[in-house]
Amino acid sequence: MKTRSPAYFAWRRFAANKGALVAGAVLLVLILMAVFAPLITKTGYEAQDFLVQSYAFPSTEFWFGVDDLGRDFFSRIVYGARVSLTIGFTAAAFSVLIGIPLGALAGYYEGWVDWAVMRLIELFSVVPPLLAAMLLGALTNGGFFTIVLIAALFGWVQVCLLVRGQVKAFKEKEFVRAAQALGASPAYIIRRHLIPNAISPIIVGFVLAIPLAMMLEASLSFLGIGVPPPVPSWGQMINTGMNFMYFYWHLAVFPTAALAITVLATTLFGDGLRDALDPSLKGR
Amino acid sequence: MIVYILKRLASIALTFTVVSVIVFLMMHAVPGGPFDGNDMPVSDEVKAKLNASLGLDRPLYVQYFKYMWGVLHFDFGVPFQSPGETVLELLGRAWPPSLILGGAGVLIGAPLGILLGMAAALRRNTWVDYLASAFATLGLTIPVFVTSMLLILVFAVWLDWLPASGWGKPYSWVLPIVAYATIPLATYARYTRSAMLDVLNKPFVTVLRAKGLSERRIIFQHVLRNAALPMVTVFLPMFIGTATGSIFVEAMFRVPGLGAYFVSSINLRDYALEMALILMITMMFCVSYLISDILYALLNPRIRTGGRRG
Repeated sequence: MKTRSPAYFAWRRFAANKGALVAGAVLLVLILMAVFAPLITKTGYEAQDFLVQSYAFPSTEFWFGVDDLGRDFFSRIVYGARVSLTIGFTAAAFSVLIGIPLGALAGYYEGWVDWAVMRLIELFSVVPPLLAAMLLGALTNGGFFTIVLIAALFGWVQVCLLVRGQVKAFKEKEFVRAAQALGASPAYIIRRHLIPNAISPIIVGFVLAIPLAMMLEASLSFLGIGVPPPVPSWGQMINTGMNFMYFYWHLAVFPTAALAITVLATTLFGDGLRDALDPSLKGR
Repeated sequence: MIVYILKRLASIALTFTVVSVIVFLMMHAVPGGPFDGNDMPVSDEVKAKLNASLGLDRPLYVQYFKYMWGVLHFDFGVPFQSPGETVLELLGRAWPPSLILGGAGVLIGAPLGILLGMAAALRRNTWVDYLASAFATLGLTIPVFVTSMLLILVFAVWLDWLPASGWGKPYSWVLPIVAYATIPLATYARYTRSAMLDVLNKPFVTVLRAKGLSERRIIFQHVLRNAALPMVTVFLPMFIGTATGSIFVEAMFRVPGLGAYFVSSINLRDYALEMALILMITMMFCVSYLISDILYALLNPRIRTGGRRG
């Protein structure tokens, strides 16, 4: 009999989930668009090349029309994917970086370490994240890196809880006991045995942190305390588009649709990944 | 139980203190004081006098205790954007629209969401389930200002049925309430579905079926009552969440509520109002978590006698 790796079964489960598969494909297209933005757009995101045609409606020449400052709107939307995805992925990476060590420590040592980490998490659960993010954004005047940090600040909790649960479940297993008996240090056990066994919740936590960060960025930019112009952010474009909504619908519709599709695709992809990697969590 | 409540109260006090210290320090970490602007330059002596008259020359911890002393007496200071009244008066004025918006949103969205979730769980893996799940996922993932934008575009701009903004006539409440209701609707649909499925897969349901109980009695008398338990815990925090969740809805529809003031306080650097809002909402979250935990314990006999909860 041929032996199959767990990854193979995970892939089988994932492929059976049509919604997640489509979402993954959409996400891939979006990432490719973001990476190759200069190749598929005719101008940069801040080139005011079409001032005479400002507010032009979508046409074969300008697929998404021209915005109020004479910039090709399609270019701006595509470059907006760059901003949104970069912030989403970086913030998720930072969330994982904070969440793994704290979750592993809390799960392994229990006692006062666990108590302290859980109180910290409790702190983050009672502070309204959006309000706190807005306050932080206002105090720091926004900016790319600040947004990433704010998103990570509120994104690590989920990863931490997932890792903590997994470490707690695994540290009673025989192979960990055996490693302890052989004199392995806690740091070694955590690094070598417990974290590798927590890899699937980590992946899931990482992917699910992405849409949250993208939403936070869009929300802050929408309020004018996110990424400063002229860097194209969908939230910011929605805010501008709102002012012209009655006459130039395209300025509001395209960034709205872009944001909705991206966040939705990432979330569905993450949900599918979670179901595939950990069937016991399905449907939560 | 009383020991548990006291413990929780102590933990709330600790959380509240930490949050207030952090927020206070954050706001004072910004360089510059209120009289450092260049619009109306004042000499250094005058500046020192002004700062002294407001207590701004005292050490930070003195300022913090002075502020918190006021907070404990419901004195949150004077909002920068309307100095004629206190923060509390301004909040009293801004709260009703938010309460109507959030309250109506939850009261409409939550029951609909529960029904949708029930339908999805009972007709698992049919088109009802897929439709409900798709709807719930959409509602949870799409930011509420996007939903609002779409509603405004369709019903105000294109169809011209309802006003796009304002809070005057009750019919102008329709769109914001609908926009807001999508959040509790989606949350509850998703939550109800998984809670119901959890219970439906329990062995006791199989036993009930084997005993020949009608499906209707199984659902309404046994499954629903067990599934309702975890749902109780989300209801209160969700209700408090209206205070923050409606910020964007209020901003989109220009509703003169709490959210609108919060947004303007961010833009105007109105720290007194911001701090008051954050502290109050944090407090309400703490209390609502405590109440829902107590409710949970009261409703769930397994916890009532068990004592400790992790």
